[in-house]
Amino acid sequence: MIQVENLFKEFELTRQQRKELGTTDKKAIPVNGISFNCEPGKIFSLLGPNGAGKTTSLRMLATIFKPTSGTIKIAGVDAIKNPSEARKKIGFLTGSTGLYARLTPNELIKYFADLYNVQSNDFEKRKERLYSLLDMHDFQDKRIGKLSTGMKQKVSICRTMIHDPEVVIFDEPTSGLDVITAENIIQLIRDCKIEGKTVIFSSHIMSEVDLLCDELAIIHKGNLLFNGSMENFRSEMRAPNLTAEFIRIVQNSSTLEL
Amino acid sequence: MILKIFLKELKDTLRDRRTMMTMLVIPLLLFPVIMNIFISVSEDFQTEAATKKIKIGMVGPSNNQVLKDLNDIPQVIGEKEIIFYKDTLALLSDLEKDSIQLGLVVPKNIIQKLADLSSVKIKMYHNATDMGMQQRAESYMKIIEEKERYNRYDLLKVDVSKINPITTEYVNIASEKEMIGKLAGGILPYIFIAFGFIGCMYPAIDLFTGEKERGTMETLLTTPVTRWQILLGKMGVVVLSGITAATCALLGLFISIEVMDLIPNKEILGIVHSILSPGFVVMLYSLLIPLTVFFAGVMIPVAIYAKSFKEAQSIITPLNIVMVLPAMVGFFPGIELNAITAAIPVVNVVLATKELIAGTLEFGLITISFTVMVGLAILAVLVSYKRFDKETNIIS
Repeated sequence: MIQVENLFKEFELTRQQRKELGTTDKKAIPVNGISFNCEPGKIFSLLGPNGAGKTTSLRMLATIFKPTSGTIKIAGVDAIKNPSEARKKIGFLTGSTGLYARLTPNELIKYFADLYNVQSNDFEKRKERLYSLLDMHDFQDKRIGKLSTGMKQKVSICRTMIHDPEVVIFDEPTSGLDVITAENIIQLIRDCKIEGKTVIFSSHIMSEVDLLCDELAIIHKGNLLFNGSMENFRSEMRAPNLTAEFIRIVQNSSTLEL
Repeated sequence: MILKIFLKELKDTLRDRRTMMTMLVIPLLLFPVIMNIFISVSEDFQTEAATKKIKIGMVGPSNNQVLKDLNDIPQVIGEKEIIFYKDTLALLSDLEKDSIQLGLVVPKNIIQKLADLSSVKIKMYHNATDMGMQQRAESYMKIIEEKERYNRYDLLKVDVSKINPITTEYVNIASEKEMIGKLAGGILPYIFIAFGFIGCMYPAIDLFTGEKERGTMETLLTTPVTRWQILLGKMGVVVLSGITAATCALLGLFISIEVMDLIPNKEILGIVHSILSPGFVVMLYSLLIPLTVFFAGVMIPVAIYAKSFKEAQSIITPLNIVMVLPAMVGFFPGIELNAITAAIPVVNVVLATKELIAGTLEFGLITISFTVMVGLAILAVLVSYKRFDKETNIIS
């Protein structure tokens, strides 16, 4: 379960950042008081255009960033007061996730299992299960730097799941991947749902959201524009298809701002 | 957990060829290779210069005393051939063309002047860029001058001891060990500082900027490990790399001394061996470890701040000069370790090492130096943590 209440994040902008962004504002507000809940056994999607605040929100959930204000509870743990405890319950995967190229999959998975303090018995069982599921046995001792993109993605998935997290956070997980490699991720998200995990994923691809999610939140310029079930979203649609409706909502909010 | 991070980072670092080159291969081989080249080139040059048959041009009377004295000098100093010139211009022209290597202009009235017991002025022309020729000319003239002086003493029946009323004997009370420490002791910390810095550089950039660039830092930060633990685990590898590089450089120097017979004087070699006692090594490293932590603490905030490997490298490389310059203080013989210099970072390590080698180190001063370096190392770790804790710095 993820419970987010009035989440707010503010960044100080350096002179160079202000120049790059073409603004005179000394602060940027990528997330402006958003609230939502993600339930176990359901897939929650955070949808928004580039720069909407999706990644910042997910980084706050993953405790990489500290919120300026608001509350986050991860599987009942206050992620702001007790980030280390919250991290034990989180699996985090992004489309740009890198791996240690000079290590082998075996070494990398063991390293992360150690960081999550996974007991040796559990580690062996989970590793075997994940290796079989992802067909990783053939390349387990090869250096990661020499693996194909698909193989690397499998290692990333294995790394994310080795501590059997209750909550799994995916930040644009299929970004930049080919269809076959992306399919591994989509399958993983489905498996997580079946196993009763809480899944949140961000995307700007409506078809992917349509395929997977049960709950949906649309975010734009740090503000929450929609939060509800996919069923409700479909029933309230005014545009002919999901993508058009998403664009309509975002554009409408921009017009209102003006 | 710090140990787990340290071991993983160490494994990762040891598999990086670039780091291995700067940490082990270059420091270990640099001195033996440079010394080997230097010694063989210098030996070849010395042998060639000493045995080279040189042509000496001479302007002056054909039966002058200088010519006779010159011919009497044994060929052991080097073979020589004397060529007579009619005038100085022709002699200088040939000297410029290197047809002759030395030019001797003797006054026409030399025979008469010597007979009158007058002073004679002789000009010896040489080309200073022709290495070794000035030394050869000086050794010839010293022999000739001495010979003529003693001839004159005999002629005048002068007792040599009577014209030298005072003879001073200079007695050096400094031990050989002290001399080595004060004069050559600066090289040891200089090598350590230079290589320690370079040794820290690549792992610092790779483990911080590199992780940001490769997108692995974000993943690491989602694990239950605290940022303190991550920082200390990584910093441990950076410090170890610096110390390893510096140790390899010193080892390379030691191999050069032992294998290449860099110190032919057995007595001095014995002193060098006695300096390198276990106690000395412990004292040396107790000064150098905080220094390396300080180096790591200077580099890590830069590496955390930089957005790319290239950016980090372009900032850290000039820092190298800033750090190594104070180390050169060790080469100036007049500067000693005192209450003021003991409080100046880097300079204190260099001077304390010199005193340590010389065996003249005062406990109070080494305590100040050690405290300053440890304090600075702690400060460097805290600054690194502050940078590492800043969320905008750790995600590219």
